[in-house]
Amino acid sequence: VPDQRQLIEDLRERIRRIERRPPPCTRVVPAGRPAVDALLGGGFPRGSLVELCGPPGSGKTALAASALARAGDEGALGAWVDGRGELYAPALAPLGVDLARLLIVRPASTGGRARGEGSPRDALWAAEALLASGAFAVVVLDVPLAAGARARGGGASAEAMLRRLGGAAQRGGAAGLWLAEPGAARIPGVVRLDVAPGPGEPVVRRAGAPGAGAGRASHAA
Amino acid sequence: MQLELSAPDGAPARSWAGAPRVLALCLPDLPVQRVARDRGGGPAPVAPLAVVADGQIVACDAAARAGGVRPGDSAVQAEAACAGLALVPHDAAADRAALEALAEALLALAPAVEIADAGTLLLDASAAPLSGGGADAEARLAARAVDVAAGMGLRARAAVASGRGPARALARAGRGGAPVPPERTAAALAPLPLHALELPEAVAARLRALGVRDAGALARLPAEGLAHRFGAAGVAAWRLARGEDATPLAPFTPVSLPVEAVELEAPVESAEPLLFALKRLCDRLAARLAGRGLGASRLALVLALDLRGEERVTIALAAPSAAASRWLLVLRERLAALRLPGAVAAVRLEVAEAAPAPAEQLALADRPEQLAALDAVLARLAARLGPAAVFAVEPVALHRPEAAYRPAPFAGRAGAAPRRPGRAPAPASGCEQDEAPPRPTRLLPAPLPLVAEGEGGRVTALRLDGRVLAVESLTPPERLAGEWWAQPFDREYRRARLAGLGDCWIFRDVTSGRLWLHGFFD
Repeated sequence: VPDQRQLIEDLRERIRRIERRPPPCTRVVPAGRPAVDALLGGGFPRGSLVELCGPPGSGKTALAASALARAGDEGALGAWVDGRGELYAPALAPLGVDLARLLIVRPASTGGRARGEGSPRDALWAAEALLASGAFAVVVLDVPLAAGARARGGGASAEAMLRRLGGAAQRGGAAGLWLAEPGAARIPGVVRLDVAPGPGEPVVRRAGAPGAGAGRASHAA
Repeated sequence: MQLELSAPDGAPARSWAGAPRVLALCLPDLPVQRVARDRGGGPAPVAPLAVVADGQIVACDAAARAGGVRPGDSAVQAEAACAGLALVPHDAAADRAALEALAEALLALAPAVEIADAGTLLLDASAAPLSGGGADAEARLAARAVDVAAGMGLRARAAVASGRGPARALARAGRGGAPVPPERTAAALAPLPLHALELPEAVAARLRALGVRDAGALARLPAEGLAHRFGAAGVAAWRLARGEDATPLAPFTPVSLPVEAVELEAPVESAEPLLFALKRLCDRLAARLAGRGLGASRLALVLALDLRGEERVTIALAAPSAAASRWLLVLRERLAALRLPGAVAAVRLEVAEAAPAPAEQLALADRPEQLAALDAVLARLAARLGPAAVFAVEPVALHRPEAAYRPAPFAGRAGAAPRRPGRAPAPASGCEQDEAPPRPTRLLPAPLPLVAEGEGGRVTALRLDGRVLAVESLTPPERLAGEWWAQPFDREYRRARLAGLGDCWIFRDVTSGRLWLHGFFD
């Protein structure tokens, strides 16, 4: 019901003022690709996480960079938790990302594919801190985490740490983009976009979201 | 009556015309105030306090004065008069430093500040009307100056008048009140006792013998013979009493980066009392920087440990700032992550690097709370992961892909020219093509070996870790080579679509002929 939605929006705004939190400048960060924006209802929602899942060369990183570029156009900052140590920043500049406004966090324990995966604990901690900070519009999370893994050196299971990321995004009003490869840990209750290499641009489908059939596919223009 | 009309040099009403408007800020009993402040206690100490130099009381607080102590008394006399009197040796250098620190902070209010004597600062008040406020602009300036002093932990009283001498005399005599308009200068000075004009004692005594008891009476003396009878000092006092003082201010210029320190009453082992002490240091330091129009981009926190040595922590800020609240956010994060080997006895906060605080350069200038949030999260990340793990990237014009960028400090500032899609960065020098081929978004920290499988000289599949991946498409090669002087490399890069992986960046090492997977067009 639109009236109810409006009412809830108004209440949210009032609570925000009472809590003296910064106003969200926009409620979504456009993905910069019309087809993906249509799948998400306008863009990546601020204050929550979206999972981008695809094989290593599918184009999910470029999609995240495209959202960073749109956020940068509005003067907002972006952050990238590079838990794999693989991000090649020079490739982001031609995609429209202002590198001076992109904070890269690369914990020293990152291993890369050849050396085996390092402890994701620091990367997850950094992800939570960045999402909750309120300073970034988009936070890209590239943390290698196999399904059912336990973060080394601590009791909290990966699932539990992932669940906390959603709360952090909500507190800080950031759009969190979780990059995952097939077979990696899933974040419970989060919209997932499956990215597959297409003939031109990658093919993006929405999966596992309530109200959107898993079969509904869209080809990016 | 005759006395009043005997001015030799024309109308006295015009004598103030050339005098600058001056705000004098007097810090009564500065030596005592400073000692009380630097003891780090909260409110004023209850015990009577006096400062001694060469066995003589230099200054004392109200409690000591109530006990019968007067400046000029001998220390023995004072101790006999006032039970429980705490005597502290006079530290003129520390007093001077406190005065300079205040002068620095006051530069935020006035274009020039002069340190007139050991307890008085003079501010150029001529620009007060420019800062708005209309008729009571000077009164507001005076109130703000007193506030700044209070922020630095010092009690002050202010007076505004024309000329440095009259303003200073009024402030020292505690006759501040409303700003004195130029034409009322002499009238305002008239009730002041002679010692407020700082005459040599011998001259004052001779004047008193003549029945001249206040500045008004002195001003009415005939000019003729004044120099003859009382010398240059007498003429100067006479001019001052008439409100004639056009000497310009001798402005104070701060030289080094500011430092503020405090000794803790008792050694401290937890963060909360440290933060309490730091808050006051931050306030003072920020006021001093703001006076110069600067912001700190790096702070150094030095914690003197009770038993051995000191702990030094350098704190980098995302953007130059003179906002104490932002510093405190960062300091809080760093203190929380700090493990101290012992209790802290004293705290010193230094501005290690300062820069003009830019207002418009920042991406978030209009959202100060976000800037503070950025500082705080950067400090937390650097404290836990190490400063090297948190960075922005600068492109480097080198052909070797893994060397084509370097980490740079993240400032959250907009780049010089944000690049638009479709416009690739300028290729490295010596590159004849206009448009560099796209680069992969992921580069493996260490390339993975590939084995080619094919038939008839055509590569149809690549083997990676025992997996055979069909090659769906392959671009023509791009040759990257160079650095013959150090570590020569010669590689042929291709973009390959591999089944199940997507677009990969592979290269053939021209010297060895081996194939490597180097990255992904993800």
